[in-house]
Amino acid sequence: MAHPRELDKRRKSIRNIRKITRTMELIATARFKKAMDRAAAATPYTQRITQLVTDLTQAGLTVSHPLLEQRETTERAALLLLTANRGLCGGFNGNLIRTGLRQWEKLNETVPACRLEIAGKRGISGFKFRGQQIAQEFTHFEDKPSFAEVDVIANRYLDEYVAGKIDRLDIVYMKFHGVARQQVAVETLLPLGSLAGGSTAVPESPTHESQYEFLPSPESILEEVVPTSFKAKLFKCFLDSAVSEQVARMVAMKAATENASELIKSLSMQYNRARQGRITSELMDLIGGVEALK
Amino acid sequence: MLQCIVVTPEATVLDTEAEFVALPLYDGEIGIGLGHSPLIGRLGYGELRLRSGEETSSYYADGGFVQVADNVVSVLTERCLPITELDAEVAAEQLRSALSRSASGEDQVARRQRSQDQARAQVRLATRAVQR
Repeated sequence: MAHPRELDKRRKSIRNIRKITRTMELIATARFKKAMDRAAAATPYTQRITQLVTDLTQAGLTVSHPLLEQRETTERAALLLLTANRGLCGGFNGNLIRTGLRQWEKLNETVPACRLEIAGKRGISGFKFRGQQIAQEFTHFEDKPSFAEVDVIANRYLDEYVAGKIDRLDIVYMKFHGVARQQVAVETLLPLGSLAGGSTAVPESPTHESQYEFLPSPESILEEVVPTSFKAKLFKCFLDSAVSEQVARMVAMKAATENASELIKSLSMQYNRARQGRITSELMDLIGGVEALK
Repeated sequence: MLQCIVVTPEATVLDTEAEFVALPLYDGEIGIGLGHSPLIGRLGYGELRLRSGEETSSYYADGGFVQVADNVVSVLTERCLPITELDAEVAAEQLRSALSRSASGEDQVARRQRSQDQARAQVRLATRAVQR
């Protein structure tokens, strides 16, 4: 039987660990709420953009824009992977890196020149460990990605796409479906494909029967809408990723706290048994001694 | 009353009622009153003014779009803030760098022009906010 003092020591250290994981869980919960609010605040914008596009198409405009069209040959492609800066969030980073690596290999097979860009320290170190070249690294995205920061990256992609430096942009990120479900998603952001803003857009009945007046012209507005819609989409990816990270950390830390509590329970039991065992054996010794003196 | 909603990618900045809304369109200002005909327009950089009663509030709008229908003015812009919060020095710096930048090709010239317009509008509004 183990020494009771050792058991007690172990139990103390596990108590400390539980304190830490418990705190981390609380922090993650608070951050998750904030990130969630931010993501919710961003939806009206995408909704309105979608509405605008619907109204534009109802005006009899055929939607065509260089950003929407598939290029005949894809010579150069870029892959953007969104991971977290910190660990201790369960399978979040691992899943992303695994899917990212698979997508990266697939892309390399089909496209001659590929470029890899990663946001988040975990993904960067993960890919470096696997001996991959990273063209661009971002570590400044924390749990609150701001539009201004994403805008810089989005503009760069748009410029490169228009200039023909990339023919395709893929993104791998953790899509947020709900608190209980997040999934790794692989999406092609450029060419945009459709302007509808994702499958969430329900084909609404025309809210306004009215004929719109366009200033300056539907074409010119469309020209502006397309890049804006791309930016909104990219921003949404970053927000989703931030929310998912916090959820993952929350869940992982909750599980860790529960495990620690269980371990403490079983250790306490062992400790008490060992202690009782020692007392009993001491008593036996005493009684034995007394008996011998008689 | 007109309902005026301003949304940016990050948040809904404004959702108020106003009697009159003035917007910076791409080529000049447009005023929207009650019962304005439906309209979709491209915005430029400049001042967004809301008037209700005697009160007028001014905001800076950073490009985007406006949609007017059924007495609802929805503005989609990348950035919108009260003009008192504008930073004249940052804008002036942007203007300086845009002016000194060399640009070749149509795209780059257009981009430089945009950057200049944006900075000029900010400087103008920021100085006006200080004077008031």
